[in-house]
Amino acid sequence: MLEKGKISPRQTGQLLFMTTIATVIFFAPSMITGIAGRDAWLAALLGPMFALITLLLITWLGRKHPGLTIFQYSEVILGKWLGKTVALLYVWGFLHIGAIAVRESGDFMTTSFMPHTPISVFNFSMILLCAWSVMVGLEVIARMSEFIIILVVSFLLFILLFSLPNWELSYLLPFFSRGAMPVLQAALIPAAWHGNIIVIAVILPFVTRPARALIAGTTAVFASAALLTIGVIGMVTVFGSELSSSFLFPLHLFAQTIDIGQIITRFESVVMTIWMAGIFVKTSVFYYCAALGLAQALNLKEVRPVVLPLGILLSTLSISLFQDVTTLVTFLRDTRPYYTISLYFLGLPLLLISVTLIREKIFGTRFGEQTNEA
Amino acid sequence: MPNAFSMLKKLLKKMPSANFGGEKLVDCRGDAIKQEDSPLLARRLELIRQRLGESKDIVIREFSSNNNQVKLAILYVDGLVDRRLINDHIIRPIQSDFVVKNFSHRLTEQNALQLLKKHITSISEVAEAPNLTQAIKMMFSGETALLINGEEKILIYSTRSWDRRSVTEPETEPAVRGSREGFTETLRTNTALLRRRIRHENLRLESVRAGRRTGTDIVLAYINDIANPLTLAEVRRRIAAIDTDSILESGYIEEFIEDVPFSIFPQIEHTERADKAAAAILDGRILIMVDNTPHVLIVPTSFFQFIQASEDYYERPHIATALRVLRLFVLNIALMLPAVYVAIITFHQEMLPTPLLLSIAAAREGVPFPAVAEALLMEAMFEVLREAGVRLPKTVGQAVSIVGGLVIGDASIRAGLVSPSMVIVVAVTAISTFALPAFNASIALRLLRFPLIILAGMMGLYGLIFGLLVILIHLAGLQSFGVPYLSPLAHGSANDMLKTFARPFWWMTSRRADALGLQNKKRQAGNTGPRKTPFAERELTHEKTEEDDAGKR
Repeated sequence: MLEKGKISPRQTGQLLFMTTIATVIFFAPSMITGIAGRDAWLAALLGPMFALITLLLITWLGRKHPGLTIFQYSEVILGKWLGKTVALLYVWGFLHIGAIAVRESGDFMTTSFMPHTPISVFNFSMILLCAWSVMVGLEVIARMSEFIIILVVSFLLFILLFSLPNWELSYLLPFFSRGAMPVLQAALIPAAWHGNIIVIAVILPFVTRPARALIAGTTAVFASAALLTIGVIGMVTVFGSELSSSFLFPLHLFAQTIDIGQIITRFESVVMTIWMAGIFVKTSVFYYCAALGLAQALNLKEVRPVVLPLGILLSTLSISLFQDVTTLVTFLRDTRPYYTISLYFLGLPLLLISVTLIREKIFGTRFGEQTNEA
Repeated sequence: MPNAFSMLKKLLKKMPSANFGGEKLVDCRGDAIKQEDSPLLARRLELIRQRLGESKDIVIREFSSNNNQVKLAILYVDGLVDRRLINDHIIRPIQSDFVVKNFSHRLTEQNALQLLKKHITSISEVAEAPNLTQAIKMMFSGETALLINGEEKILIYSTRSWDRRSVTEPETEPAVRGSREGFTETLRTNTALLRRRIRHENLRLESVRAGRRTGTDIVLAYINDIANPLTLAEVRRRIAAIDTDSILESGYIEEFIEDVPFSIFPQIEHTERADKAAAAILDGRILIMVDNTPHVLIVPTSFFQFIQASEDYYERPHIATALRVLRLFVLNIALMLPAVYVAIITFHQEMLPTPLLLSIAAAREGVPFPAVAEALLMEAMFEVLREAGVRLPKTVGQAVSIVGGLVIGDASIRAGLVSPSMVIVVAVTAISTFALPAFNASIALRLLRFPLIILAGMMGLYGLIFGLLVILIHLAGLQSFGVPYLSPLAHGSANDMLKTFARPFWWMTSRRADALGLQNKKRQAGNTGPRKTPFAERELTHEKTEEDDAGKR
């Protein structure tokens, strides 16, 4: 076994929550409002529900192949070479998402806080931290996320609560001013983010009670959907839909509006700090999944040897994937939803499931033991 | 080639001596001595003198029994024994008329051992040592050895008595309420302090010995039916693996058995307070008591144990809970207040309200250094002051703190070297460091403050969060004897969480900590609180008034 640690269902839920909320709340609101206008909150509420499909597919596969990660059972289902191809595709996918997350944090830092500092400083330091946590293992990442989740959620709720005086709920009216189609289209953006729940395909075998993982994942999806929806409502009601769609990081400006008795003002630096911690957990999870996947695809005995090469790859990707923050946003809005959903969140799981079913029903192959459920 | 050859030759020459030295260390009785050990008293005494040298404190007294049948010798270390006990209860009975009257015809060298042990000497604790080496070992811990001519075995009487410090209030862990008894340097006194608090048959005190030259006694204390047997086995294994020649303080043991010795955070708690130690045992943890030190080790521990004080459990729960929250806050201040200040002053000035920013800027006007340098300077200065205060005698210490704190602080502000706001920040941080109950945890915070200040000076709050995440990764990976170091927060149950960050009423805490994996988690049956009793009390008072009435009539 490459990973000896075990994590509890609660920790699993928290990890899944962190992988989505950490970046979605920062980037998605302006994109969603750009498409759906003042109905953005509806898109923010609907989009994440899509992740439940992915969750169901993956937990079904996990139950069929207990104790195996997606990298392993893809080989069991599709045979050695095709299976390894799928595993490596997923490794690439996790790396890609991780690199995007790092890039997001770096772009945020350079555009909002330290314009004179090269982005590589932020990206490399973040990846260095993540590499260390990946070395230490999944259990440690889970423990850290338990700590950081408290900070992230409490600070998000804090800024939402103290922005309440600025809320102008009439900005939300009228409903469906642009019709239903833009809402559905916009829903794809949070859907792409919440599809990150795919990491459960990797961490499911390490959960102490795998049967509870479905509940944990569902809770995570609902919790992050709720937080995102409230966030979007807050931003639209404070800035209006036009203005919030024109901002790059609406939450950042949102935090600036907070003023508590002229003592706590300009809260955004603290929000940035907390957000960096969130990004750290998210990147660590994806980095870990990529490293574990590569190690399993290459039949290594340890994860450690691949951590550093992947880190270098991650650093390079995080810088060279996008020219600047506009290309990043365009990619996230126009390309990524279709690419990730069709390939990673739906396409490949459905392929695996259908091949499993065909082999079971037609060729009578039996996969795994289904006895240890409960 | 010749060079290599000569080197080899040198090596060969050296080898036997090195070997000899090694053997000497491992086993202090050589083969030669083993052969010579004979039951004959004269030979034996000769051997003892040869082995122990001319140490004046070792007393060897030869005498014979009253009926002149048996030659004996008594052997003890002066200063470690109660001499009156030896005179009155070992030597006198053997030499007195008592022997003549009762055993004159019977006491011979053949039966002397049994007769002396069972009938003649009158000391409660007697043991037999199989050979001389064993006897000498025991003699050095304050026992008295009685050698009998012609007898292989040696009688060992327990006559330990030496000058010991009395049980006093621990100076490092004072408390307003609660027991004032602290541990002392004498192991037996310490175990007695525990026994007095826990009068239960399952309190076990297991003896081990470590340190080849110091031969230090170590006692593992635990409650047999509560403590986790796996943890216990691990503690035993780690202590047995200690291979060193000296153990003078429990800190030695701490370093040898810690999970991650390189960590800056202590993974073992220590205390001087007897009540805290007893509470730890009752919680299912294990004590490691070491002779010659009042500091007792507690394992396993978690990071948040360091915000708990024993007093929390004696005062009202409301204030104890509030104090724990305060300590959590103080812990953060002690770790990162200077770093946050530096970050805000250097990078995020917009976070401050404008009037405050203006006053700080005005105060900083004319200060020649950047905030980082200022902070590092002041922090270093404070550490120097503190170190000087600890080392100096109490009377001078006062003067140093006045000169250091008041004079230098005031003068440096007037001279424009540092800004007053920086002095405030450093002072608040210093006070926060002292407000934490655990000294060894605050050491870690003190040290980590410096890298955080540097990071904050380089990259503002981003640098700070970078540093904090490094610490967090480290902490999350730590374990103390199988228990995660961030225990109630990570991997913890709601029960543990409540008991760590708040202090619930005693009658509400019916379960022990879940993280320790104890055999017996139940502390008491359900809710036995006062809220269940008022009805009964009412009846009682009612009856009383009736009786009173009857008496009046």
